[in-house]
Amino acid sequence: MKFIGIVGTNAAKSYNRMLLQFMKKHFSDKAEIEILELTDVPMFDESDDQSDSDIIQMFNTKISDADGVIIATPEHNHSVPSALNSILEWMSFNLHPFDGKPVMIVGASLHPQGSSRAQLHLRQILDAPGVNATVMPGSEFLLGQAQKAFDDNGDLKSEGTVDFLESCFTKFQRFTEIANLLNVPEDLNFKPGTFEVTAKGHNGDLPMSVTLSKDRIEDIDIDTSTETKGIADVVFTRIPQEIVKGQTLNVDVISGASITSHGVIDGVARAVKMAGGNPEILKKRPKASNIVQKDEEYTTDVVVVGAGGAGLTAAAKVLDEGKNVIVAEKFPSPGGNTVRAGGPMNAADPEWQNKFDAIPGEAHRLKEIKDMKLDDIDPEYRDDFKKLQKQIGDYLDSDGKYLFDSKLLFRIQTYLGGKRTDLQGNEIHGQYDLVKILTDHALESVKWLEKVGVSFDKNEVTMPVGALWRRGHKPMGPEGFAYIQALQKYIEDNGAKLMTETPVKELIIEDGKIYGVIARGANGQKITIHAESVVLASGGYGANTKMLKKYNTYWTEIDDDIQTSNSPAITGDGIKLGLSAGADLVGMGFSQMMPVSDPDTGELFTGLQVPPANFIMVNQQGKRFVNEYGSRDQLTQAAIDNGSLFYLIADDEIKKTAYNTSQEKLDAQVKAGTLFRDDTLEGLAKQLKIDPEVLVDTIKKYNSYVDAGSDPEFGKDVFDLKVVKAPFYATPRKPAVHHTMGGLKIDTGTHVLNKDGEIIDGLYAAGEVAGGLHAGNRLGGNSLADIFTFGRIAGENSVEDKVLD
Amino acid sequence: MKFIGIVGTNATKSTNRKLLQFMQKHFSKKAEIEICEIKGLPAFNQPENRIAPEEIQALSDKVESADGVIIATPEYDHTVPAPLKSVLEWLSYTSRPFIDKPVMIVGASYGALGSSRAQGHLRQILDAPELKARVMPSEEFLLGHSLQAFDDNGDLVYADKVTELEECFDQFLLFVDITDQLIKNHSFQTEKNKNFSWEKVSEGGNN
Ligand SMILES: Cc1cc2nc3c(=O)[nH]c(=O)nc-3n(C[C@H](O)[C@H](O)[C@H](O)COP(=O)(O)OP(=O)(O)OC[C@H]3O[C@@H](n4cnc5c(N)ncnc54)[C@H](O)[C@@H]3O)c2cc1C
Ligand SMILES: Cc1cc2nc3c(=O)[nH]c(=O)nc-3n(C[C@H](O)[C@H](O)[C@H](O)COP(=O)(O)O)c2cc1C
Repeated sequence: MKFIGIVGTNAAKSYNRMLLQFMKKHFSDKAEIEILELTDVPMFDESDDQSDSDIIQMFNTKISDADGVIIATPEHNHSVPSALNSILEWMSFNLHPFDGKPVMIVGASLHPQGSSRAQLHLRQILDAPGVNATVMPGSEFLLGQAQKAFDDNGDLKSEGTVDFLESCFTKFQRFTEIANLLNVPEDLNFKPGTFEVTAKGHNGDLPMSVTLSKDRIEDIDIDTSTETKGIADVVFTRIPQEIVKGQTLNVDVISGASITSHGVIDGVARAVKMAGGNPEILKKRPKASNIVQKDEEYTTDVVVVGAGGAGLTAAAKVLDEGKNVIVAEKFPSPGGNTVRAGGPMNAADPEWQNKFDAIPGEAHRLKEIKDMKLDDIDPEYRDDFKKLQKQIGDYLDSDGKYLFDSKLLFRIQTYLGGKRTDLQGNEIHGQYDLVKILTDHALESVKWLEKVGVSFDKNEVTMPVGALWRRGHKPMGPEGFAYIQALQKYIEDNGAKLMTETPVKELIIEDGKIYGVIARGANGQKITIHAESVVLASGGYGANTKMLKKYNTYWTEIDDDIQTSNSPAITGDGIKLGLSAGADLVGMGFSQMMPVSDPDTGELFTGLQVPPANFIMVNQQGKRFVNEYGSRDQLTQAAIDNGSLFYLIADDEIKKTAYNTSQEKLDAQVKAGTLFRDDTLEGLAKQLKIDPEVLVDTIKKYNSYVDAGSDPEFGKDVFDLKVVKAPFYATPRKPAVHHTMGGLKIDTGTHVLNKDGEIIDGLYAAGEVAGGLHAGNRLGGNSLADIFTFGRIAGENSVEDKVLD
Repeated sequence: MKFIGIVGTNATKSTNRKLLQFMQKHFSKKAEIEICEIKGLPAFNQPENRIAPEEIQALSDKVESADGVIIATPEYDHTVPAPLKSVLEWLSYTSRPFIDKPVMIVGASYGALGSSRAQGHLRQILDAPELKARVMPSEEFLLGHSLQAFDDNGDLVYADKVTELEECFDQFLLFVDITDQLIKNHSFQTEKNKNFSWEKVSEGGNN
């Protein structure tokens, strides 16, 4: 038999350690006892999961593999030491190695009856559902006056004590045999058939059918048509896969989506019950991922880190150049933040835009730009600015009724929109050469995407949230997903290898040149990919609050529990990889908050997310509080000043302008209480606990401003619809982390630069992982332009450097 | 009166923190409550020299000078969380500021039970000779279903629970006064607890 002995304290000197060491020696002919120490176990912290760390994994594996566990506990303050609490908490959080494990408790203390209270507490702890050990009853072994109990060899002096310990231990060996019988897997039989159950989704219940044969789960099919495309997919493909592959309900939930993960597992459990089986048996089975896998090694031309928009684009370009590419993606499905994007991508395409009528306020905005003083423009932009002034002048003089645009307007707005000063007084604005590349080549990116298979809605030119101009090219189909779907198909059809659940952990660096990456596979195996060059396209660090706080120089405060609109995968991995190769960083202090996010999840496209022309923001008193056309920063600050939570008010017509939603989704959200709807404004106000008179008055005034085309209160100057047609809606919103502008320093060829401004051989970066372009503030719709433009450059250059101007 | 409220967990999201924040706001006219966090405090490791790390000493000083302490504890595996336990070990092992300090225990948990088992353990722990706090007897404030318990303003939404908490808090104010009376003549026992040692006890030293 093999036992693990745990020393219940991290103290340097411990009688409990001596007791275990004595037991190990004394019982060596009966059983093998391996002693584990708590010294290196980190303090349990729910918000900093370290279940994957070496030490916690070591405890997990050793306990899982042992026939039984002996815990020797001191008594501290009438209970067990915190160090012992801590390891038991880790072992009950995401890992549960104690489940059904036979345990023997012993204790040594100075006091004659010492550790009796600690032993009682320990029994209660081990009995908690997350731990669920099988503790041997009775046979309390308490070693009192421990300081006198051992001789110089570490042997127990008293023969009587040794006899009693022996009898306890013999009993434990028998107990272990019997208790482990309970752990032998039971047979499971189903009444074959397909069972209809539901899984819990973000927007309400999802129909799910589970097909069972006599003794197997054959198929799980979930109807996800009401879910946000792309995001929830991870849960709804990966969890069923794991369940079927391992014939188990013991599957890891997906980080960032635990509710929906459990929803699927519980749904399958219900189906198993309906078929006359016991789901508990399936929950006790080993995980599919515990099946050990051999390490893997690959060789290719280019390896791309991250399968978001930038990464897939780069991969597509490598293929276009006739080379091989492997894309390593951290998550179970590609898409990253790109799949979450609202869709419109900015590119100046005057020929197309001129076909649309100008809307009220646009001429005014152009005039404002034209009237800016040259002194207020940074020197490198002045030539362009002067040319733009002339273009605008000509347009205004001709009394143009059409929508104006030009590459120069795009460039100057990107520059002006990104100019910010942080709390320390450092000014930042977009690096001219990068901004020029973006604004000159974004339209080519649109054209290129069309070739790849993305079709755009030519009948509408939109202004994305947080943008300054209507130059958004909106793809047909489900928004951000449309790009990813087309790009993924393109690269797979053309022979790329896309490896999901393969987070890159290290760069292979030799003599300062990059030769590939080392990643970890889904089952913990090491994956080595050798390549001529590496493209980092792993996105920003919006989901890494620690990192945000570390670099932040812009916001007065970032809350520990701030929500984010980002995918949980976006944790700055590429920036850290770059740093490991000596890369320089730029603009890291600047992050962007999305003022209009779901207060509970940080998501953007819940409720009615409409173009800003149709935003009517009211605070918790029912009053407007800001020019809804303000920059994200202004909206965020105004929201914070108004207690963070606020509402977007809409009517039935405004509803039709919302992105990424459908009537079914809205109905489900109203039902779930995350969106408010009422036939009257008064009723809506009551639901929000707002004074009806105040809200009605606010809307009345707003409607009159729409008619007048100007807003004397907050200066909103671009309007679309009024609020008139029932039913009325209120969408609750709060600011959340949305984008990180800072990142790796790159040149116009996407080469990553070191601190001396030199190219790091073989290393490229594109997309949100790189900095310098958006500077202090990214305009809405500019990211998509960025990732597809610089993604293309990275793909081409990683094969063979080309010069672009 | 000046109290400190100890958040019994190091988690960034905690309804026990919210509970204390609510108490701080709701009782601001009756008492000043300073909220103390235990996140990031070093883990207890029983150093030979019995010297508290700086951060622990700072907390100890706060406990020492407060008129009373409110501990809000979650429940992990039927007991108090390791990080809270660790702080108590430090304080009992070094400066012992809890001796005779009036303590009110509150707790919030997601389930129905509201951390009752953890509160039971915490009472036993605070009764250990080197802690010997004066824990308010019988009154137990358990907040179940705590995830749904607070609105966006951080206000407790269950009206009956607010009333119950108000009663508990008034009792605690009274209890602090009474305890003060009690311990005036109690310096001998206090001294004994300050000098308590398990080594000595086991040798038949001080009781
Ligand atoms: C909700 C939301 C809405 C948005 N709307 C718009 C919009 O309308 N218009 C616009 O222009 N911009 C928008 N943005 C911004 C834009 O979507 C992003 O800036 C952009 O998609 C970033 O693309 P990317 O390819 O650089 O990174 P991502 O698309 O985030 O892709 C990065 C990928 O790398 C993977 N990864 C991370 N670490 C590793 C690792 N160690 N190993 C392997 N893979 C790794 C990630 O899993 C992810 O798949 C929005 C962002 C969000 C969050
Ligand atoms: C912080 C602390 C609190 C303690 N509380 C108790 C107690 O409540 N009851 C008891 O019997 N012993 C108590 N002790 C004494 C321990 O039981 C004693 O140190 C024993 O030797 C612990 O075993 P070890 O040598 O394996 O650490 C305490 C010791 C420490 C350091």
